Amino acid sequence: MPLNLNSLDRRRFLRGTGLALALPLFETFARSPVRADDDPSTPRRLACFYFPDGVPMPLPEDPAYRDWAWFPLGNGEEFTFTKVLEPLEPLRNDLTVLSGFSHPAARSVHGHSNADQFLTAAATGYDGPYQNSISLDQLYAGHVGEKTRISSLVMSTDGGTGTPRGAHTLSFSRSGRAIPAEHRPKRIFDMLFVKSDDDAARRLALSDSALDDLLTDTRRLRKRLSSQDQRSLDEYLSSVREAEIKVAKAKHWINTPLPTVDADHLNLELTPDEPRLYVQTMFELIYLAFKTDSTRVATYQIGRENGVGKSDHLARAVGFNLAHHLSHETKNVNGWKNFGIYCRFLNEEYGRFAMKLQQTPEPAGEGSMLDNTLLLFGSASSAFHLSRNYPLILTGGKNMGFKHGQYLNQVGTNAQGGAWDGRTEPWQKKATHIDEPLSNLFVTMLQGLGIRTEKFADSDGTVSEIL
Amino acid sequence: MKYRSLIWPGLIFCTAVGFAADRDSPESNVARLTFQELKEAGAKDSKYLQQLTSVVDAEVPKADLAAFEKTIRPILQRSCVRCHGAETTEGNIRIDTLDPNLLQGKDVAWWLEILAVLTNGEMPPPDEVELADEDRSAVVAWLSRELQLASSVRRATGGHSSFRRLTRYEYNYALQDILGLPYDFAKDLPPEPASDDGFQNSSELLHMSVVQFETYRQIARKALSRATVQGERPPVLYWSVTMKDAAKIEWPKQAEQLEKLKEKFKDDPDKQKKEADRLTATFTKPHNNTYYHDPSTGRTARANWQYHGAKFAFKPAASLPEIPAPSDHVAIIPQGRNHGLIVELGNRVPDEGTMRVRVRASRASLEESRIPSLQLEFGWRASNEGRAILRISAEDTQIKASPDKPEIYQWDVPLGEIYPRNSVRDTSPMGALPSPSEYIRLVNSSATKGDIRLDYVEVAAPVYDQWPPESHKRIFFDSAAQENESAYAREVLTAFMSRAWRRPIAIAEVDQKLKLFHTMRPRCDSLEEAMVEVLATVLSSPDFLYVIQDESASESVGDAGQQGQLNSEVISAHELATRLALFLWCSVPDAQLLKLAESEELSDSKVLADEVSRMLADRRTLRFSEQFVRQWLDMQLLDFLDIKQHVPGFDPLLKEAMQNEPIALFHEVLQNDASVLDFIHADYTMANERLAVHYGLPDVHGNHFRRVKLDAGRMRGGLLTQAGLLAMNSNGTDSHPLKRGVWLLESLLNDPPPPPPPAVPEIDLADPEIAKMTLKERIEDHRNHAACRSCHAKIDPWGIAFENYDAIGRWRTQINGKPVDAVSLLFNNQKLDGMDGLKRFLLLNRQDQFVRAMVHKMTTYALGRPLTFADHSSIDRITADVRKQGDGLATMIRLVATSELFRSK
Repeated sequence: MPLNLNSLDRRRFLRGTGLALALPLFETFARSPVRADDDPSTPRRLACFYFPDGVPMPLPEDPAYRDWAWFPLGNGEEFTFTKVLEPLEPLRNDLTVLSGFSHPAARSVHGHSNADQFLTAAATGYDGPYQNSISLDQLYAGHVGEKTRISSLVMSTDGGTGTPRGAHTLSFSRSGRAIPAEHRPKRIFDMLFVKSDDDAARRLALSDSALDDLLTDTRRLRKRLSSQDQRSLDEYLSSVREAEIKVAKAKHWINTPLPTVDADHLNLELTPDEPRLYVQTMFELIYLAFKTDSTRVATYQIGRENGVGKSDHLARAVGFNLAHHLSHETKNVNGWKNFGIYCRFLNEEYGRFAMKLQQTPEPAGEGSMLDNTLLLFGSASSAFHLSRNYPLILTGGKNMGFKHGQYLNQVGTNAQGGAWDGRTEPWQKKATHIDEPLSNLFVTMLQGLGIRTEKFADSDGTVSEIL
Repeated sequence: MKYRSLIWPGLIFCTAVGFAADRDSPESNVARLTFQELKEAGAKDSKYLQQLTSVVDAEVPKADLAAFEKTIRPILQRSCVRCHGAETTEGNIRIDTLDPNLLQGKDVAWWLEILAVLTNGEMPPPDEVELADEDRSAVVAWLSRELQLASSVRRATGGHSSFRRLTRYEYNYALQDILGLPYDFAKDLPPEPASDDGFQNSSELLHMSVVQFETYRQIARKALSRATVQGERPPVLYWSVTMKDAAKIEWPKQAEQLEKLKEKFKDDPDKQKKEADRLTATFTKPHNNTYYHDPSTGRTARANWQYHGAKFAFKPAASLPEIPAPSDHVAIIPQGRNHGLIVELGNRVPDEGTMRVRVRASRASLEESRIPSLQLEFGWRASNEGRAILRISAEDTQIKASPDKPEIYQWDVPLGEIYPRNSVRDTSPMGALPSPSEYIRLVNSSATKGDIRLDYVEVAAPVYDQWPPESHKRIFFDSAAQENESAYAREVLTAFMSRAWRRPIAIAEVDQKLKLFHTMRPRCDSLEEAMVEVLATVLSSPDFLYVIQDESASESVGDAGQQGQLNSEVISAHELATRLALFLWCSVPDAQLLKLAESEELSDSKVLADEVSRMLADRRTLRFSEQFVRQWLDMQLLDFLDIKQHVPGFDPLLKEAMQNEPIALFHEVLQNDASVLDFIHADYTMANERLAVHYGLPDVHGNHFRRVKLDAGRMRGGLLTQAGLLAMNSNGTDSHPLKRGVWLLESLLNDPPPPPPPAVPEIDLADPEIAKMTLKERIEDHRNHAACRSCHAKIDPWGIAFENYDAIGRWRTQINGKPVDAVSLLFNNQKLDGMDGLKRFLLLNRQDQFVRAMVHKMTTYALGRPLTFADHSSIDRITADVRKQGDGLATMIRLVATSELFRSK
């Protein structure tokens, strides 16, 4: 064993620590591909939803507070929904409402720029150079993606990637690149249940040949190395083998018949111009994808920030013109109420989806589908443009150990809020509450989903109250 | 037996060595010496410079235990065992029970420690125990010899490997050099961790995972697709914009403003006239932000760009219009980063290819000393919140042209490197929201005031100076075999593989890739497309990704088999070429290195030394300067320094200059083969205008770094006084003597202190007594705790000597109204009087330690593996050679590269 000169001739040996050896990865991965239908464990699913423009935050002294504040009244198990969250009452024992969470890196950034970092916690800022990082859903998809035909479903009402700081997607790759979201129900349906991708088959065949060739390179090289160096090369060897397994799994899916679903009730040509039906259809597609185990990970950005785009028309579902305007007009007569009615509409549809999962028994497992599905529903701003105290609802996942039926109210009644009076905006004022990093919740979610991790982005703990 | 003759002449230190604590020259004399004289005085005491002859020439090396029993044990018994024995065991070490057999014994680590504290004069404590000079010398001499011997034996018995994969930055540069494209290819790879030595290329750290492996494959495919082209040369779009045209959108706004005002005051003609006159006057005055100036009317107007509706966008033409005659109708860009001249280009800027930007500009002032700098940015704003802007010029351009003779300045920007682009540029129509339009912005980045005048901007894209571009021809070169796809594929593969794998390629290896080509060809539309797939595997193969030591073919050292040489196994000429290229260029060997490897000439010491000189003269050596310095000095700390901490006097321009200064100094010393002692003190530094302002150095203009003479004020010079290195070892708002001390010990002296023990008492700032203290007093108080004393006594005095430098490295004489106290006592009662005293001490007493530390660090980096005890003797040998040849940095590099260690497995 080589002795490290630096640890020897300088005083590091006083630390009394042993030499940490980098053990080569043994070829633990060199087994036959795991097929999803062979997988004995019940699937654990994750879906994340985002809505823009914050939520009604009237101050406690405001007459609208009791009816139209987004956050419930009370704390712990003793809480009542206002009219905004009322549609979720049937799910009361399957959800936790959370206050006092936000991502530290974006707290001083205007709320309109922050959808990009909702699932990533990156310091995406508001101007200048831009770099994002992996999103919660993609991290999870990296673990379970190959167990299903589609590793993850990425959807938004506005479609595509949007622009940096004006994202139309919640999902970001390992290197922080935006993953384009699909906004056309027909395309999503076809991807799930109708067509397979010809080019994907071609690419897989090319990959297969390339990996084969690289294995030959590696074996040839291995013969020329010392036994010590061979062990280092084994890391490479097992990486190639793992990549081969991934290709084999992907090929397996291409050759597996598509599931058949009854789609008669769906109008797949819908656009956001029929807002309620459109949102219902998008939720329904996730339901079908989960039910057929076509994927276990989904994101849906219900709207982009700042009202530029189709999603702003969703307010027409409840008789308003543009959704973003509602958040600006809260000081007008019925301002809070109008904004609240719009948020209530989103909650009705989210609730409809969650209840459907609740009422569907797990196809091959215990409990309901909801018990094996974790849903995160929320936004990256609360009060007007304020990037703190994100409104969040965590639903489902009882079989993963999540405990619900509570309002985890960390802020109390002191939340920053109130209508914008034309002067300093709430987001520019001094914070009244130091939030907990939202990444702590992400770590807790990942752990519940079965990922062994202690850390996501800037997390500094977990949220034990929901377990 | 591999170790025929183990001990090199000149390495055994038998004579008396000078020690700091025992130096009898009065301090006052030392203080009067100039730094140059100190360098000479300090060199006199170098053990490496003593010309000694070897006393050892044994067939089978044996530990000299007899000498230990006769001479050494009694000395240790007298001077050490009282505190390090059975009764008292200070520092948890008993000297009386150590195994004196260094060849086979288990206590080598402790003996190395003892050698260090004796050589540095740290032990025994001067006021407690006597240790006569001759006794100290005897122990040092015996220990040095035994350690040399032991190290050589271990070296010969092996157990070290430089087998590793390329680091992220080596991979990046290798792709750049192989493909001939200066792109940032590796940005999708995860960052590398750093070893205890601080080096990222350390063999034990460089792991591989499936994610990493798949990323290599993606990068390779993408890089090859970018390097090659298909079809016809794409048409070039030209935007040519005179400032006269650009300003046209602004003038009507002034008329509108005036109309509105007249309307507002129409009932009060006096007021109306007064206000109108006031407003009109603003139409001719200069502005602090970028503005247009029309000399024919004398009018000025601020350049008020708005994204909405892409109303400011200029349309491109299909051909290059004639450049208009110079005009006085100009845009004037005052200094400042928060504004600039935006030239909006619309949504037709291509994805790939070169964007060539040319501007006709001059400085506004006639004064030669005020030469402003221009920077080029690229940006877009799609919606209120969807936007980005980033710098795309590699370095600032000085605008030297005088106002009467404007000149053309040009940038070539690879469009594919700009990230993020406006992602709705293909989907949203011009004029709609989100806006698909993009722009360039010209910013006056001067450190001090000085306007830039500009009358014409021209943008062309995509520009290809030849078609197919050079990067394409490199891979798909013209050949007689082109008619026959298989034969041509073989030629392409052979050429590419030997470059990427940096060795001759066996026919079987080419055959294998050719077979892959034939498998893939039917699935691809063209030979080029299939070849990109195959070459991507060449670049994802372990033969490319790993630094390989072939065990199947061992060679003997070319001319290095001289008498007295260790016959360690030697790497092949091709492996040597790769090791050398990674060392000095952070990349793969070029054609000449491969040629010399092929002919085995590289194994010749003279040829090898010549190659080192050639490589050091090449621009690629800048990569070495940057990578080595950043890792050696742990400069990541500076990257992480948060500018938002609002330290007055700190700004992004200064941070950039701080990050550059150590690298620039290193490169300057390297280019001149100046002494590495210049890193401790030099009478010059490398600075640009911003840094010069920070240091109070006069007459430095412009953002480029150049050598600046320092007066004998002694506040700057060398690495120790560099603002960035001081700032990164601060806590953001104040100096941090502990961090600075640890950094000095670790990076410069290679003498890292142990980490704090688990239960360290915190400094209790709630204690009113402590709160009153100065920082130095607090540290001294903390040091008085028993648990902290032994370590802090070793660290703090070094750090306190830096106290005249504040959190961002500015010189100060007062802290909170109290005079700075930068005087400290080292463990051996050696007084350090501030920075001046610290430098004097190091130059007089620690030259050997510093030079050896540098050799150690450089060799660690050069080999790409942690050094082991077995390398100890080789490091001493190189250090001795460096010292004898005058301590030059280029000399050191040459000696490392031509050393037996560097050429061995």
